[in-house]
Formats: sequence, structure tokens, C-alpha cells
Amino acid sequence: MTDDRLNSQSVLRVEDLTIRLNSGAGTVHAVEAVSFALARGQTLGVVGESGSGKSVMARSLMGLLPRRAMAYKAGKVVFQADPAPAQDLMQMPEKQLRHLRGPAMAMIFQDPMTALNPVLRLSVQLTESLRQHLGMDRQQARRRAIDLLAAVGIPDAGRRIDQFPHQLSGGMRQRVVIAIALACNPSLLIADEPTTALDVTVQKQILDLLARLQREHQMAMILITHDLGVVASRADHIAVMYAGRIVEHAPAKTLFSAMKHPYTEALFNSIPRINDPSHTRLQAIPGRPPQLVEPASGCAFAPRCQYAQARCLEQTPPIVTVPGTNDHKHACFFPVSAAPGQESVDD
Amino acid sequence: MTDQIPCHLRERDDIVLRILQLSVNFPVGKQTVQAVTNVSFDVARGETLGLVGESGCGKSTVGRAIMQLPAPSAGHVFFNGQDMTDLAGEALRQTRTGLQMIFQDPISSLNPRRRVRDIVAEGLTIWGRENADTRVEEVMAAVGLDAASAGDRRPHQFSGGQCQRICIARSLALDPDVLICDEPVSALDVSVQAQILNLLEDMKARYHLTMVFIAHNLAVVKNISDRVAVMYLGKLCEIGNTGSLYARPAHPYTRALLASIPDADPLAREQASIDGEPLLQGELPSPADPPSGCRFRTRCPYAQARCAEEIPQMQLVADDHYVACHFPILEPQAVR
Repeated sequence: MTDDRLNSQSVLRVEDLTIRLNSGAGTVHAVEAVSFALARGQTLGVVGESGSGKSVMARSLMGLLPRRAMAYKAGKVVFQADPAPAQDLMQMPEKQLRHLRGPAMAMIFQDPMTALNPVLRLSVQLTESLRQHLGMDRQQARRRAIDLLAAVGIPDAGRRIDQFPHQLSGGMRQRVVIAIALACNPSLLIADEPTTALDVTVQKQILDLLARLQREHQMAMILITHDLGVVASRADHIAVMYAGRIVEHAPAKTLFSAMKHPYTEALFNSIPRINDPSHTRLQAIPGRPPQLVEPASGCAFAPRCQYAQARCLEQTPPIVTVPGTNDHKHACFFPVSAAPGQESVDD
Repeated sequence: MTDQIPCHLRERDDIVLRILQLSVNFPVGKQTVQAVTNVSFDVARGETLGLVGESGCGKSTVGRAIMQLPAPSAGHVFFNGQDMTDLAGEALRQTRTGLQMIFQDPISSLNPRRRVRDIVAEGLTIWGRENADTRVEEVMAAVGLDAASAGDRRPHQFSGGQCQRICIARSLALDPDVLICDEPVSALDVSVQAQILNLLEDMKARYHLTMVFIAHNLAVVKNISDRVAVMYLGKLCEIGNTGSLYARPAHPYTRALLASIPDADPLAREQASIDGEPLLQGELPSPADPPSGCRFRTRCPYAQARCAEEIPQMQLVADDHYVACHFPILEPQAVR
């Protein structure tokens, strides 16, 4: 697929998104010059550690950041859900945005305990958007809600729908959250750490469920996680974030077979692998992630990078495309060469 | 059954910790939650035992019951041959200095109002040990903290990874034999997680520690453990040396757990052997009313009538590899 065709089919196109937030300690540079495009039916995996800006980015796409917290914002978030024309969400007034959240774009949060209202029955929470956006009456909405619960794999949906969130297990609650997000058939689904609070067997069920629903609805999905394993086999493209920037962006297979950014490499090497024998020494990344208040100049990863040179501390590396590809991008002056373990200085 | 020694306990002279038929029950309203039922295992000197299972399987309760916090409802905990369940008061406090714990959330396990130096020295102060200052400096240096600059600061001035280092320093101050680690890296970022895992390995070698490592992440447990015990709903399903247990998991639950792990390397993933393993269905039963017979049978794809009637006992399936299942899966598997 060529770049042009990808763009024309894009559900979402983010250009130079920059978000700075007010905090007690100063201005937090949470998201810096982030760009990507996402086509119908595709999954973008966004990987990063805590504080890398991935959740702030997700919330800003949905327009969910509190206005008071926003110190500065720039860039474009172009959203196009057929048949509506493309629109820039950053310029859109809140009133208009409300009509998009739910029917056009939806979000799943990390903690299913707090994402649901504990004092409302599931029926109320599931039918809210159906009645609000699709104008269904009470009976229609209830029937559709029961169908939705059944579709996300909740047994005995007709009885469950009148229960309260505390009567369900964590995995079931996350299924309900997914059902609510998908109620109005959105074109874009943002899943922010959807399985982090869940056990590994439940995680697999939920990820399988998301993949199936995505196929059925041809949704575009952004899957945000700190776990490379979660996105490795489930995302079409992967963006690695560090200190508010996308430092590498590539098709999933390319990323793992030819990673270019030292941070991607270090992150990958620091994870204990199930295939390695026990007591395999892990290659830890020294130091810790940088604070984002008034960040220093240069590459944010430079202080922890084993390949860093003087230039890395002075200039911020721009995001460039790997020669010979059109969809593998990285932001590093001294990318890691294809042969692992070999120091590379080709610029 | 109560006095029979399970076959997976080893007859060796260097057993530091032996847990025998440990049960922990908690009263909840009118019901009794059977958090841990009849769990036995042993740990030899210098060994790391990994204890894995999903939330609610009782793995943390086992860790706490070893420390007698609270004391188990039934069973024995032998530490260097001494049954800790027989001890109380001063004798228990004395013995317990030989076992130390570190916890999941390093920040909330440190008193925010105290200086790091005092936190690390607390055990030494309580026991009136001599040369406490030297010892504090030594253990802080061992975990990679400079006592001179870090000692006078307070926990909020440190990151999560550094707080976990402080917790490890505190646990080492009294020179324990056994370190019980309850999810020590699950609250940390992956890049910091590797630092702490490496540090624990270093500390184990330097201070000749024996470890019980409780975690839900199977890859982390494999990395650090010599032997692994898998728990489900308060019971031990499978125990064995790490290599055999991960390469040839025999209990259907262990297999389901291993098949659920998302692999960080999609290129390696394609040759994984247990991908065809059926997914777990249904929900975890209530520990207040566990299923009869085998507790896993309600979700087990291979369950038969016998599983409901008879509690499976541990049986040997390979060298130092035991499983509690009537129908263990024994065909040779490709190494995962």
C-alpha cells in the first residue's frame, strides 16, 4: 500500500501534535510533535513506559484533557469517519465534539473498576449512548444492549444487564466497558492499557475479543500499552514513545526484525523472555526515564543511551524515514544497525 | 492423609524452609474463605523458588503465612528445622529476623516521614546491633545507593525503582537467610524492572540468600527461579525445576497460563508449542465454596468424572517435576 493511498483511507491523521500541561512543578512537555496516520481496520500499537506521554496523547485525541490543565497545544488531529468530511478535532468546539464521542470514536480505559459508575445498573450505562446518539427508545436500546453484552461474551446477558458493576469480576467489567465503547459502532477505538489490570489468562480473552470485534466492525484501533508483548502480535504498526515523542514507528514485523532506535532495542532487551533459560542476565537500561518539566535540549534518551555521542546532547534528532522504506521512521542520529550488537554510526 | 509427607518434599540436609500442609482460612461474614489449602513445598539453601498464579490464588497469603503474619490456620512452617508455628512472642520475633520480606509497592512500604538512613537501620536499632552505621552504609552501597548523599533524604525524593532498592537494603540489614519477595517488580517500569531483577540476583549471590519469589509474570519468575510452584485457587497444581516445568508443563492450568502469555517477540512466537492449548473458559470459582475434588476441574478442558470426586495428589512426572492432576499431559513438547 502506498503512502498516498494510506492517507486517503485514513480514519485518523495526527500532525505535529504537541501538548503541554500545567503542573505544580512547572510546564510538563507531555506530547511533542507526534505525527501518525491510521487507516480503517488497522491497529496502531503505542508502547511506552509510564510518563512517556502515551495516555495524554490518547486523551487529547478524544478531547478529554481538562481545559484548565492545558498550557499549550498545537498540531492537527484530522478525523474522517465516512461519510462525513474530514475535520480537525483540535479546532472543533466542545459542543460538536460531544456528538463524535460515542458514535464516531470511543475509548476504553485501564481500570474497569473506575470506568463504570458503581451506583448505576449496567442497563443504564449501556443504553445511555444508544438513546443519546442513535435516538433509540427505551425498549430498543435495552434489546440492543443485551445483544452487545452477549457479543462481548457475557453469559446470561438478559439477567446480567440488571446487575451493578460490583457483581461482576474484573474481566467481565472490562467486557462491559468494551460493550459500552462499541455500542454505537465507532470508526475509531482507543484502548488505553485495556488489560493492564487483568490476569494473563483474562488478558488473552480480552485481546482476542478486541481483535474479533475490530475485524467485524472494520474499526481503526489505537492500542496503548507498556507491554511490548501485548502489541507484538496484535498491532499492524507500532509506535514507541519516549519522553513525549515517537522515537520509532514501523510495521510490527519490521520493528522487531530491524529496530533502529537504541531505546527500542534497550526496551526489547530488558524484558525477561519466556524462551530464555532461567538466570539469564537481563540487559537493564541504566538510569530512569526523564522528567518532562522543562526538558533539557538534545535527545531525551541520550543520558541512558549506550551509543550516545556529543551531538545527541545538543540537538534533538528529527524523525526520519529509513532509506529504502516508506513506513519505517525513527528519531536517532546514530541508529542501531541491522546486525544486533554491532555499534553503528551511519547517519 | 494429614500426617503423610507429600512426595514432592525432598530429603536433604540443606532445606532452609519447609512448608508442610499449610492452610489459611479467613472468616468473611458467615462464610470461610479458604485462601490456602494444604500447600507443601520446601526451599533448599541458595535456591530461589518462584510462586506463580493469578490474583486470588493465595500466593501472597502463603508468603505472609511463612512470616506468621498472620499465623496459618493449620500446617507447619519449618525454618532451619524450627517449627515457627510453635513459637510465640519473643522467640518468634527472634526467629523472624532470619526471614525478611519486600513488597509490591515500594513507595507505600516506606514511611514517608523518615529519613532513608533510619528506615534501613530500623531492624538494627530494634535489636540494638553494634556498628549499625557501618552496616547501613554497606547494604546501601550494595544496592547501589550512596549512604552519604541518599541517607538523609526521604522516600518521596526517590523514584519507584530507587525506593525498591531502599526496601531491599532494609531487608538485608539484619543479614537474613531467607528473602520473601512479594511481586517486587510488578509496580515498576520494564526498564527499571530489569535493574531490580539483576540486583536481586547479585544480592542473592553476595549474601547467600534463599529466596521465595512471588509474582504473576511467568517470564519474570522463569528468569529468577531455580524451581517454580504454580498455584490455583489456594492449591498447588505443579512444582518442579524451572527448565522442566516450562518446557513440559503437565498440569492443564500451567499449560493454559503459559499459552496466554503474549510474547514480546512475534518472530519467536510462531514456533511456540502450546499455542493450540484451549483457552480458559468461565470464571474463577469462589474460594469460599471451592469445587470438590480438583479445584481446577470447572474450567479444565480435560476434566472427567473422577476429577470431581477425588482430590488429586502430587505425583512425579519427570526428574524433580511433580503435578497434582489425575490426567496430566505427558507427551514430550518442544522446548518453549
